[in-house]
Amino acid sequence: MATVTNWINHLSAAEVKGAIYPGVGTETYLVIALIVIWIGWHFITSVSEDKDMAQLARKKHGGNDHKSNITDW
Amino acid sequence: MTDQLGALTTIFTEFYYWITVVLMFLIHVGFCMYEVGASRYKHHQHTLMKNTMLIPLVTVTWFLFGWWIYWAFPTGPGLAPSIMNESAALITDESLFSAKWYVPNSDLMAVNLGDHISGVFWAAFLLFAWTAASIVSGAVIERITTFAFGILAIAIGSVFWSIDAAWGWHFDGWMLKLLGYHDAYASGVIHAIAGGFALGILIVLGPRIGKFSSSGEPRNIGPRNPWLVTIGLFLIYTGFWGFYAACNIPIFNLGPEYGMEGVTYWTATNIYVTPTTLGGITMNFLMSLSGGLLAGYVISGKDPFWTYSSGLAGIICASAGNDLYHPIQALIIAMIGVVVAYKLHYWVERTFKIDDAVGAVAVHGYAGVAGLIICGFVLNGYPSSGYGVGSMWVGTDYAPINPLGMFIGAVIMFGVLGLIPGYIIAKILHAMGKLRIPRDVELAGLDYNMMETAKKDERAVASSNR
Repeated sequence: MATVTNWINHLSAAEVKGAIYPGVGTETYLVIALIVIWIGWHFITSVSEDKDMAQLARKKHGGNDHKSNITDW
Repeated sequence: MTDQLGALTTIFTEFYYWITVVLMFLIHVGFCMYEVGASRYKHHQHTLMKNTMLIPLVTVTWFLFGWWIYWAFPTGPGLAPSIMNESAALITDESLFSAKWYVPNSDLMAVNLGDHISGVFWAAFLLFAWTAASIVSGAVIERITTFAFGILAIAIGSVFWSIDAAWGWHFDGWMLKLLGYHDAYASGVIHAIAGGFALGILIVLGPRIGKFSSSGEPRNIGPRNPWLVTIGLFLIYTGFWGFYAACNIPIFNLGPEYGMEGVTYWTATNIYVTPTTLGGITMNFLMSLSGGLLAGYVISGKDPFWTYSSGLAGIICASAGNDLYHPIQALIIAMIGVVVAYKLHYWVERTFKIDDAVGAVAVHGYAGVAGLIICGFVLNGYPSSGYGVGSMWVGTDYAPINPLGMFIGAVIMFGVLGLIPGYIIAKILHAMGKLRIPRDVELAGLDYNMMETAKKDERAVASSNR
């Protein structure tokens, strides 16, 4: 994975290579991974939010019920 | 970077933008505090999380496509040719400032010894994107789902703001060339568009339960915690200072840039690469803040919430031309913007039953639009770019700043890229049943379950003896 193994050799080269992160050349795979994470996160949180909302709505609390739950630590 | 002066200029510029990013983070801190202060107790934590989660959502999409849009779209496409390649197509060729270098799998979108500036410039623009989304966030509190807000935040933060910045906040933007558009500190490209977008959503989303009486009279749902609102707005002012700094290039030699043979002229410039001074814009920032506070204090009847917001509205209104205005002009323009924003807010609320919970549409949208229109008159005749000044509608050169062009620009920012997309996306989310939380949840409070759990914990801890 190491793109640079010797800084002296790297910086004294005729043309210094700019990209120094690990795995240069794998950027496309990293972008695909990010897209999968991004879509997955939206899916998981959307399902979870729908479930939470439906559960709370079923309880039919009134507009002032929350006041009995105000903490005073 | 092999010569010391060149290296110093590059590293200074890199560090300059780095500092602005840190300062601009305070805008988001301020918005979080402000919104929590404005929301009611039973919605606090949801309000906070909603605004917090826009950070990763907009950041990821800004990395994937938002930054690319900014560099690809200055030509429209198809509206005016680029000065770099003389083509009106999307700028994706080998040009120096092409979007080609900013696709997410480019090696310039990472630590790269050959490019010290792109990353920090990416970050500065990302913070602008957060701001655009955060402006919308305040307007819709206490009744929007987190999912819907996330989609809308991505739309305004990583798509529509990026398109408007390419069109009107880029040295090669078509709006400069055809309209003579000038918006140095983003009255339109951040504030008017975000205000318009928020209004589009609010039309579909509807008011909070209880906001209007059965006869349609609006009721005031005041901020629950005025201290959080106060600190939040002061932090937004502070971050806005960083925002102003980030809208400049701190050191640039305009002589060779403009093709002036033998001329060397080092200066700070605005985003359009025309000269200004950091000293001058700081004076204008403070004078427009003062103008906004002065006007807000009077017109709101000394209401603290509106007075603080008016300070912000004042800066926003003067921002379009604050690179060139005299400080007293900045102050007067700010005062006008505040009066317009305040009056329009209550007129729209009463007439159309729009519940803008924090006055975001007014402070950002109406003040931003007013600022653009005023700028067209006050800066009438100034060049919109240093690269060339032509006649309006010619399209091959840059039009000078003018009232009609700025008015059209305001319509594009607030309406075309703000209100209409906000309305359409909200309509789609509404049709999917994803836009608004259920009525019973709104009544109970979004934090009900969290509060109930906390109360149980409190009782359990209080009754423990070991």
